[in-house]
Amino acid sequence: MRPLLALLRKDFLNFFRSKAAVSLTFLTPFAMIYLFGQIFGVNRKDSGPSGIPLAVVNASGNPAGDRLIAALRNERSFRVVTEYVLPDKSRRPLTEADLKPLMQKPGADFRFAVVLPADLVSDSSFGLHLKFLSNPRNEIETQTVNGLLQKTIFSHVPELLGQSLQARAKKFLGEARLDQFNRALAGVVSSSFGGDRAEIDRQLAAGDFGIGELMRGRRGTGGAAADGKAESGGDVFSQLVRIETEQVVGAKVRSPQATGLVGGWAIQFLLFALSASATSLFRERDAGLFQRLLASPVTRAQILWSKFLYGVALGVVQLLVLFVAAGSLLGIEVLPYLPLLTLVCLFAAAACTSFGMLLAAISSSPEAASGLATFLIMLMSGIGGAWFPISLLPEFIQQFSRLTLVYWSMEGFSGVLWARHGLLQLLPTLGILAGITAIVMTIAVWRFNRGKIFG
Amino acid sequence: MLQLRSVTKRYGALVALHDVSLDLAPGEFFGLLGPNGAGKSTTMALIAGLREPDSGTLALDGQPLSAASSTARLALGLVPQHIALYPELSAEQNLRIFGELYGLHGRELRARIDDALTAVQLHERRREPIKQYSGGMQRRLNLVAALLHRPKLLLCDEPTVGVDPQSRLAIFEYLERCNREGLTIIYSTHYMEEATRLCSRIGIIDQGRILALGSLEELLQRLPFEEEIRFPATPATDPLADQIRPHGELTTLDHQHRFRPRPDFRLSAFFAAAEALGLPPRLFTSQRPTLEAVFLHLTGRNLRE
Ligand SMILES: Nc1ncnc2c1ncn2[C@@H]1O[C@H](COP(=O)(O)OP(=O)(O)OP(=O)(O)O)[C@@H](O)[C@H]1O
Ligand SMILES: [Mg+2]
Repeated sequence: MRPLLALLRKDFLNFFRSKAAVSLTFLTPFAMIYLFGQIFGVNRKDSGPSGIPLAVVNASGNPAGDRLIAALRNERSFRVVTEYVLPDKSRRPLTEADLKPLMQKPGADFRFAVVLPADLVSDSSFGLHLKFLSNPRNEIETQTVNGLLQKTIFSHVPELLGQSLQARAKKFLGEARLDQFNRALAGVVSSSFGGDRAEIDRQLAAGDFGIGELMRGRRGTGGAAADGKAESGGDVFSQLVRIETEQVVGAKVRSPQATGLVGGWAIQFLLFALSASATSLFRERDAGLFQRLLASPVTRAQILWSKFLYGVALGVVQLLVLFVAAGSLLGIEVLPYLPLLTLVCLFAAAACTSFGMLLAAISSSPEAASGLATFLIMLMSGIGGAWFPISLLPEFIQQFSRLTLVYWSMEGFSGVLWARHGLLQLLPTLGILAGITAIVMTIAVWRFNRGKIFG
Repeated sequence: MLQLRSVTKRYGALVALHDVSLDLAPGEFFGLLGPNGAGKSTTMALIAGLREPDSGTLALDGQPLSAASSTARLALGLVPQHIALYPELSAEQNLRIFGELYGLHGRELRARIDDALTAVQLHERRREPIKQYSGGMQRRLNLVAALLHRPKLLLCDEPTVGVDPQSRLAIFEYLERCNREGLTIIYSTHYMEEATRLCSRIGIIDQGRILALGSLEELLQRLPFEEEIRFPATPATDPLADQIRPHGELTTLDHQHRFRPRPDFRLSAFFAAAEALGLPPRLFTSQRPTLEAVFLHLTGRNLRE
């Protein structure tokens, strides 16, 4: 036992003598958390993209088109561009012909454009005709823009669809018979529900089947929309199909997005930090220190376990510093859960340390070890879910997620910080982390005894 | 005290030690003299239990030596060929770690650390990180770090590599003092001067074999000559070289002839021949042969090659 403690003390002395190591442990987490917080916007009040430049040209002459543009301007995700700034700084409205050249020139001001053409509402097909021009440098962004466009149209100008229906009807019935139909319908509506018959007739002809009225009425009555649950009053479709959502896990979490992400960052940070410290085994070997140590009453096992304990201790400290940083910078609630979090950190750090030890055991040089470390850490983080939810991964890859210590460490962290599990509920995850540690360390120790490090 | 019996060690196909046998008496200062790759460090590693021999046995005080034997660990001290210390830590911290590994602690450990640092004149700078030390200072610390636990047998693997003359002298004097106080030492080197100065007995090792074993006197007696005469290799001395060649061994190195007469050859005859050729006596130096000559004689190669 005494040699083990002496070796451990030596590692900590070395650690505190190295300013780089100390600042990596205590300052880098803060810098990293701050940076990630900025990049992923986890601290903004509302999430989602904002200010995507979108050029809009209304060539339809339809007043509903102008209302659509106004609605798009209100959409926070877009910054609507409708004017062409000439070289002499004067402005004129954009035309459809401007769009392609503007989007193709380098450093274009916008990469998405919508044209409301003359046949925005036509009689040859039901529905609206819009032209969408894009320079889809980023697939996700393109889909986001598409989706937002559809949502805006459906939410804010439902009468455009009504107009389309009217135009189709006019084509098949003829103008006179459609007028007759509209008038008859207006009569029925006004006699059944009340209202001015002429006004209803005018609305029907303009494609407004009263949906707007309906919505205004509903909002007036209070009801479900008033209690602030996930219903947006202006959205026709959320009126037609009402989905009541209730978050059953993590509902009380203060910074939900950050809480979901921080575990993944933490574990990656730790993996990199620990694989770097595992290469210290090589430094000690190359300096001949193992000769001196092994000539004394110290066994190989004691050297390895002292490194392991050192790695775990360092890992727990680094993780806790990281979580405290996340607590103070991202508003994640950490302090009330500190005891359980420390426990999860302990098991996660043990798993990460064993990984670092295995790397050192199977590598022939520190360079080989750090190269392999980078590759494996990326791989494990990717399939373990540290970068994006594993549900986005192909199914056959998802099967491997559960083989990574990244996955289980994140399970542990989110178990404490998100689901607010107690010790009992955490035990299975901790058990799996302990199992991973045991297996990896067994392989590492076995490899060390045959490998190059004590050669 | 220490016995090696027919020890053989291979690294793959390479035979690093071949059938080495060695007996060491308590209190000996034994030199292991050999060029690079001779097998000196391998011998040390086997004795220190860092490696297992492929065949043969090693024993300390009659007990078989093995990596598992902790009494043997306590009786041995190893000074590795490299400076095996933690560069970020101070001399004091380094010594404390190594002392603790041998079970020393508390006041006794502190006292021994003080003594050790004083003995190699590092006491004043004991708190500095040793990466700020000169090579010689690090070497001195590397040496005393192996002695804190007061071993019976010290294994010194080329402890003076890259050392300034002053540190070298400090190391010599320290080791000689320890030896006088009863420490048995195995000292490996490829400097014959070191072996000559320090060692009571020397083993000449080359390519994994011990070629000769004995005190300096005994080794020199193995030479078929007792004296070596050197003179410049110039056209003027060429006739002399031709005349004496049949009477001994003549080698030429760095424009110098080295003549080692056979025992039956009388030196007066040599000088008579020189005088007859008109060569002045100041051209000639006569000296006792060195271990260098022994090595050359045994291997046909120079020690420094
Ligand atoms: N770990 C190893 N693996 C393979 N070969 C080795 C190993 N260690 C030493 N050797 C080889 O064994 C032979 C003896 O090496 P050793 O280190 O014992 O020589 P040495 O006398 O100490 O030389 P030097 O003066 O250079 O230190 C050399 O040929 C060396 O290349
Ligand atoms: Mg050597």
